[in-house]
Amino acid sequence: MKNIYIKLLIPLALLGATLSVTSCKQSPESQAPKKALIITGQNNHTWEGSTPVLKKILENSGLFSVDIAQSPAAKTDMSGYKPVFGNYNLIVLDYNGDAWPAETQKAFEDYVSDGGGVVVYHAADNAFRGWKEYNKITGLGGWGNRNEADGPFIHWKDGAFVRDTTTPGIGGYHGAQKAFQVTARDTVHPIMKGLPAVWMHAQDELYSQLRGPAENMTILATSWSDSAKGGSNRNEPVLMTINYGKGRIFHTVLGHAMGDSAYPAMECVGFIFTLQRGAEWAATGQVTLPVPDDFPHFNIESKWPLFRPLTFDEILANLTNYKTGDTRCNLQDLTNYIRKNYDGGEKYAKIEAGLLKFLKGQGSADAKNYIIRELSIFGSDKALPVLKKLQKNEETKEMARLAIERITTQYTN
Amino acid sequence: MSEHKRIDRRIFFRKMAVGAGAAITLPYIIPSTALGKDGTLAPSDRIVMGVIGSGSQGTGDMYEFLAKTEVQMVAACDLDQKRRDATKAIIDAKYGNTDARMYEDYREFLAKEKVDAVILALPDQWHGIIAIACANAKLDIYGEKPLARTIWEGQKIVEAVEKNNRIWQTGSWQRSEEHFRRGCELVINGRIGNVTFVEVGLPDGNPAKGNYPIQPVPEGLNWDMWLGPAPAAPYRGVCHWDWRWILDYSGGQLTDWAGHHIDIAHWGLGLERTGPVEIEGVGVYPREGIFDVPVEYSIHGTYANGIKMHYANARQVPHGMGVCWYGDKGWIHVDRGNRLFASDPKILEEKIGDNETRLYVSTDHFQNFLDCVRSRKETITPCQVAHRSISAALLGEIAMLTGRKIKWNPDTQEIINDPVASRLLRRPFRAPWKLEGN
Repeated sequence: MKNIYIKLLIPLALLGATLSVTSCKQSPESQAPKKALIITGQNNHTWEGSTPVLKKILENSGLFSVDIAQSPAAKTDMSGYKPVFGNYNLIVLDYNGDAWPAETQKAFEDYVSDGGGVVVYHAADNAFRGWKEYNKITGLGGWGNRNEADGPFIHWKDGAFVRDTTTPGIGGYHGAQKAFQVTARDTVHPIMKGLPAVWMHAQDELYSQLRGPAENMTILATSWSDSAKGGSNRNEPVLMTINYGKGRIFHTVLGHAMGDSAYPAMECVGFIFTLQRGAEWAATGQVTLPVPDDFPHFNIESKWPLFRPLTFDEILANLTNYKTGDTRCNLQDLTNYIRKNYDGGEKYAKIEAGLLKFLKGQGSADAKNYIIRELSIFGSDKALPVLKKLQKNEETKEMARLAIERITTQYTN
Repeated sequence: MSEHKRIDRRIFFRKMAVGAGAAITLPYIIPSTALGKDGTLAPSDRIVMGVIGSGSQGTGDMYEFLAKTEVQMVAACDLDQKRRDATKAIIDAKYGNTDARMYEDYREFLAKEKVDAVILALPDQWHGIIAIACANAKLDIYGEKPLARTIWEGQKIVEAVEKNNRIWQTGSWQRSEEHFRRGCELVINGRIGNVTFVEVGLPDGNPAKGNYPIQPVPEGLNWDMWLGPAPAAPYRGVCHWDWRWILDYSGGQLTDWAGHHIDIAHWGLGLERTGPVEIEGVGVYPREGIFDVPVEYSIHGTYANGIKMHYANARQVPHGMGVCWYGDKGWIHVDRGNRLFASDPKILEEKIGDNETRLYVSTDHFQNFLDCVRSRKETITPCQVAHRSISAALLGEIAMLTGRKIKWNPDTQEIINDPVASRLLRRPFRAPWKLEGN
């Protein structure tokens, strides 16, 4: 699937279509965007890749304007690293590196306890083993020689949150990367409301056997860490909320990013959308974002390579070379778009004009046939002249006939 | 002449049944003169049957009827040579001769064969055309579910069966299993109180991925005939059995199983001859491969009496597969494998009195059909009932495909004020195919 999307970007660029990441969901004018700050600059992962993606994801929610506070490089003077946390509604932690100055640590603790919002992303929970308050804020962590002294192992068993205070051992490891299912454990929390009970996350590394104080923590979702893939054979927490003082923290262990290729874990609509909702909840205490149509399901992965849903024009452009048997992602995107926006009026008229333009263009016959089939359901009389022309073409005549018949036949019992 | 003879034989049996005062579920008293020398019915008094579509389901059904001594299976029709060969071998082995006649085209079968009854086990896109042709040829029909691929075709089947006074049994065999009937009787007689909600768990969708490249049609398979009224399509190796994952031929597990668990849900509520008035649904469709039926589906229907039915793939309902009725005094869950549960096990021990509602009793779905062929009484799952179970599923399919809330008038069988959704009540047929008389 990844290769196909990479292929898609080229014709889009040739068409001069904009690939900018301007938000597709505008927040109401009355609500100014919330301010978010990403803490980054050192990590055992590719922060140069993940931080811009996190910025896009937050901006694409339509809820945030995003600044970046990049630290000095590792093993250099950190004394000047003093982000002004208080200027922001949300702090996003994409940092796993050298200690911050004591003044910055204290400022961060105060920011959170006074009611600030925090997102803990992936390896940020590896950071700062020795900083007690930080570990209370993240709730759980791993690596950095964490062991039983850092808190219990936390996992999920028989429908309940398990705090294993007796088993000694190293906290934090993961098996081989793979796609895995995420299971909701709290379906009432606003971040989780309306999401499938189980959904398929794209290839990622699944943190296992994390340890931490886990105070005031709610496990929103877990994933089975499969021993066949080097995992722990436990349901490991993957999405959590923590309360620290008046502060709200959303913690996602998902979203591994390494190297300069695509990051499937970050393209997963499940990762993106839970991060957006988690960020909104941490910043405001509320969640307004509606579940996208193409959220992944039980055994169906779903990705947003541009970290947002495609626009109608992009969907159509992606369909240009579609051949039966190729990924159906673009077909489903188109169908979802039409279904969602069908109003039988002006809005649909624009969609239909776009579909008819495509049918007159150079797209593949398989792509055209799919679009004709959609028109058979939603199409108006305005589609008939184009369909009649397509009826003269060997490759499209069958679908065109079907669509014309459906559009022109009044159903009577 | 044969037609005449056939009717005579039926009249003979009807008179005999009345004369003996036999209830339809009791064995007939057969005069010894009507018995063949091995104790079975003389060949001239047997119900003569054929099968159209002798694939896996058709063959399974055929075995059931072959086991009945009152049946003489004489012919079969399938558009795949391999299946014709296999079917002929089975029938001939049963009778120890080489008499079974095979046809590739159902029209030739109907023109040449003088059978009393026929088994129909076809891919859904063919149900309407062949069922109506058989009804017009005055055959009684054991037809596999779902009744039809669209609601319009279902209506036309019902009309043809009624017009021709045919007996129809649907392959909704769960009705002939005691625990399903028992569950329905407990519910319909108020043993869980007033029922306001019923949940129907159907199989999870098939997530099969993979490409199926265009390939040569296997020798002996008439692919163009197989497609029939469905849109022309190149052969990709998806034909027998796997047709149910492609919308041109089937609605997937939802429509495949509506005739089982939605049928049972309706039966227990006395809703088997009506339908929901409002339907909403969400489907999740594959994002890879060529299959396009939903892999997840969740549909909410509301009936005129206020009862709500949630029908969905099993992992989206708490009790999983089967039917679970919820009343104000408890719940009852019924599923295959003799599974009958209740919120309180004592509910299951309740007796149903003689003055209470007693449901149609059949303990053998195939025998029920044969009995009704003779008695001319309605089977336990006539086409009118099958039409309503598949209609609920098809309305859900329309709600999912259009993303709209559907308002339905179950009496006039029309979608209210929605010309777009109404288009999906029927489907255009590929030439030259059409429903006889339409």
